[in-house]
Amino acid sequence: MADQPPPDPGVPHLVVRGLRKTYGAPPVRALRGADLTVRAGEFVALMGPSGSGKSTLLHLVAGLDRADEGTVAVAGVRTEELSSTKLARLRRRHVGLVFQFFHLIEHLSALENVALAALIAGARPAEATARARDLLDMLGLLDRAAEPPDALSGGQRQRVAIARALANRPTLLLADEPTGALDSAGAAEVLDLFHRLHDTGQTILMVTHNRDVAAGAQRIVRMRDGCVVEDADDDLGPAAESIVAPAGPLWVDVLTGRRTRLARRADPGDTASTEGGGGTR
Amino acid sequence: MTGGPLGAVGLVARAELRTRWRSLVALGLLFGLAGGAVLGTVAVADRTLTAYERLSAAVGMADAQVMLPAAHSTVFDRVPTMPGVTESWTPVVWVAQINTPAVRFVSLSGGPDHPPGLAEPVVIKGRAPAAETADEILVSEPAAADLGLHVGDEIILRLLLAREIARFSQGFGQPDGGFARVRVVGITRAPTWAEPATDVSVTPAFARVHASDVSSRGVFVRLRSTDPASRDAFAAALVAAYVADPYHSPLDGLMRPDPYFPTTGVDPTVRAAQAVLLAGLVVFGVVVGLGGLLIVAQGLLRHHGGRRHVQRIERALGMTLVERAVARVLAGGVGALAAGTAAAVIALASGRIEPLGSQAQFEPAPGFRPPWAVALGGGVVIALLFGAMTAIAAAVVARPRRPVPPMPTAGHSPLGRWPAVLTGAGLAWRGPRSVGGIRAAATGVGLGLAVMAIVATVTFQASLRRLVDTPARYGLTSDLTIVDAREPDVAELVADRRVAALDLVITVPVTFGDDTAPLQLLSVEHRKGSLPVETVAGRPAAALGEIALQPRMAHRLGVGVGDTVVVRPVKGPAVPLRVTGIVVYRGGLDDPLGEGGVVVRKQLPVLAVGAKQKVNANVLATPGRAGFLVRELSSRLEVHGAPTPPEIRNLRDLLMLPDVLAIVLAVVGGAAVGHVLLAAGRRHARDLAVLTVLGATPAQMRATLAVAALATVLPAVLVGVPVGLGVARVVWWEVATSTGVGGDVAVPVPLLLVIGPGLVAGALIAAAIPAARAVRTPPAAVLAAE
Repeated sequence: MADQPPPDPGVPHLVVRGLRKTYGAPPVRALRGADLTVRAGEFVALMGPSGSGKSTLLHLVAGLDRADEGTVAVAGVRTEELSSTKLARLRRRHVGLVFQFFHLIEHLSALENVALAALIAGARPAEATARARDLLDMLGLLDRAAEPPDALSGGQRQRVAIARALANRPTLLLADEPTGALDSAGAAEVLDLFHRLHDTGQTILMVTHNRDVAAGAQRIVRMRDGCVVEDADDDLGPAAESIVAPAGPLWVDVLTGRRTRLARRADPGDTASTEGGGGTR
Repeated sequence: MTGGPLGAVGLVARAELRTRWRSLVALGLLFGLAGGAVLGTVAVADRTLTAYERLSAAVGMADAQVMLPAAHSTVFDRVPTMPGVTESWTPVVWVAQINTPAVRFVSLSGGPDHPPGLAEPVVIKGRAPAAETADEILVSEPAAADLGLHVGDEIILRLLLAREIARFSQGFGQPDGGFARVRVVGITRAPTWAEPATDVSVTPAFARVHASDVSSRGVFVRLRSTDPASRDAFAAALVAAYVADPYHSPLDGLMRPDPYFPTTGVDPTVRAAQAVLLAGLVVFGVVVGLGGLLIVAQGLLRHHGGRRHVQRIERALGMTLVERAVARVLAGGVGALAAGTAAAVIALASGRIEPLGSQAQFEPAPGFRPPWAVALGGGVVIALLFGAMTAIAAAVVARPRRPVPPMPTAGHSPLGRWPAVLTGAGLAWRGPRSVGGIRAAATGVGLGLAVMAIVATVTFQASLRRLVDTPARYGLTSDLTIVDAREPDVAELVADRRVAALDLVITVPVTFGDDTAPLQLLSVEHRKGSLPVETVAGRPAAALGEIALQPRMAHRLGVGVGDTVVVRPVKGPAVPLRVTGIVVYRGGLDDPLGEGGVVVRKQLPVLAVGAKQKVNANVLATPGRAGFLVRELSSRLEVHGAPTPPEIRNLRDLLMLPDVLAIVLAVVGGAAVGHVLLAAGRRHARDLAVLTVLGATPAQMRATLAVAALATVLPAVLVGVPVGLGVARVVWWEVATSTGVGGDVAVPVPLLLVIGPGLVAGALIAAAIPAARAVRTPPAAVLAAE
């Protein structure tokens, strides 16, 4: 697992444009052209009522499903054309995911759950174990490292899940209702952790329907009926648009150095937007 | 509507039945199919394994029997009053030459006053002859097969006089007894051990017509008790009567007052075949039963697991676990009914299957034999079992999951470099049972047993086939045998260019060790070339004081190479002989395989005191000449081709059984393993989705499931193959020793090399299917469903 340089603060790190997704029969239009941009180092809360498309958007961003239409770019890489393998590699390099119901592997210990992510990301066993220990230590769970997930409390399990999500040193941490299955103490624990991570420059996109939880984020984006209906920061200028513009194959972007130029063009100072008075910390 | 808990139970049961009766009936039928196969196996096993006993009972096998020269009339008169005798019959016996192209002799018996139910062969084809008709006969099944006789055939019999029978080994020209033209009206069946029951049964009318040609008489008695003391008392009384009898017969040297006791044991060759069949049927039944149980248990767990949330609601509403389980058992009644009915019908249908293999020859009532008790009782048991499984499945899915302990390693193993190894092995060995899951240990043990059974079956089959296909292994190294060979004929054959080798085999009756019944001691004299001797261990006897024992004898006496065995001639002192080896050699055509011993020619005179020596010539013809020789010689000599001994015929009839068993094992085991592996993708869908979330590529997903499949199959192969070989070695040794041949096992190396890698390859292929499905399925869908 190679350490990767953190993205320059303020550079658009996640860009979503015109995302549409329809499920099942009869068809349910979960997303109807959602747009979103998250800059490096931002802590964004994605809010909305049930069925508004928050989780679907998060899953499409993470590459856990394919959009019917629209574009997602993570760290300057557009994901819609990537093969499953390349998508997996992008995920292991840039993305960490935290779920409401933890989704830990039951037959692995807390340490092994975390180390597994590091192994998949390419770490050697010793490195993976060391990384897992460091993360569990950081999250105050080293003494429970050998325990199976079922032996831990909800808050502890979520902390293990967060540690697992961080094991690959992701540039983008995605969290889907991370406090939804926790009591208030557990939720506070997790939120505190997210703030600490954000303080270190971690980019976080968190889905929640809880106002109090969302209030802790740097910026709040609201969704309804599959669209982003309120975003305190919708002015990212040409930088984000250039990333997702259909400019041809990715290798052309790479060869021409367009992605690098785009990153340099972004203005680090353009990141302090707030929403409804509850976004800044 | 009934109120209270009972009403709630009824309501839930009705709802369950209304919405899910189809799957319950389908599972019930599946279980009934497997249960019916098991019940059918029980019924067939019962019919097969009891055939010999039922035939013995139907025939009314005598407790003691012997054949003596007819001249000793006072002996026969005293039989009814001998100690312990409750019933007796002393039929008259003839020997006759039959009008076949080759020289053939048959024995006939019959006479008046035959007590019903004592030594009375069962008529399996045709009918019994009319008592007052002299020209109707019954032929025993083996004789009919040997002579090519059928119901309705007419044959001519030329009866031999006693003095001609006494000169059998020297030749006697044409028989001087009466002439009879008779018609076969029925074919009879009797246990092989009913000897000396005769080839042909005649009527009292025949007996009256040919009374003057009677050569001997049989003695068949029913004893009050068959314990050793009673048997000895009867034998002693018979000997005393024989000694006291003032008359003499030319047959006195051939027939001794040494009775057989047929009901005191089962023919060893029958026992060997029964052991093979029983082992095969037990394995078949267990595999089919366990396979069915595994699949239906998984189905029921999945059936109830799919509605685990409904049970949670019922629990929240106040229904106890017992009430919820009872509701599901009531709904499952339709499945239980289907299971019980299907099982009973299949079990009844199995009544059409005759006893398997060689045991079919002992079935006293061929045709449909409905196993009512097994079908009805078994059907009820299957139905109840289905109900119990329904209750258990409903209770299992309702209980809260217990934590799954983590891998017991401190940190990570070196294999952890490849995440698929860690996760795949974990999924296979320690993964959650989840919905419809069976413990990994149960799967592993079941698969290991299946591999073991397949390996044991194919190895046993290879050993059996090698024995059947290699006559030398059962001591048959010649093309033809001349019975009672005379020196001029032997000299002529030695000079004949068509004869490649000729051994004179001289046999005398002796008793070995603590045995009481006499067996044949052989000596082989190579007159031209030498026929090979199958040596199982050590070497053949080469000097005075040495003996090579045959396998069954050595096993029975518990002696091996280097030990000493005491041999007693009919008269004279016992002679201790050192065992130099274990060999298989066929002396007389009627001698039991594997019994007796072989000594050097010089040893024989000491051991032949008081006994008549029999001389047969075993002849090996030059290639392609055997048929000519047999045809040419059989017009003037009693020549037999190379008949397969009955012990080997019994086993040959079983050849198909291991094949069928191996195929069934492979199909059932393969289906069960395939099911487990194919279902692995669904069972572990969440974990696989999590792996995807963590960045596992499709290749790593496939590798993970491949490792899980290997982790399931490899231990079974690594353990099952050697254990299967061990089991085959033990079973084959037991069968071979009972049969009287060498017990070394034939290992089918190429087949074993195919089974192991084949199973592994099959598992990898089976794992590729759920892997492809897992890769295709968006993880978001799986995780959202959780």
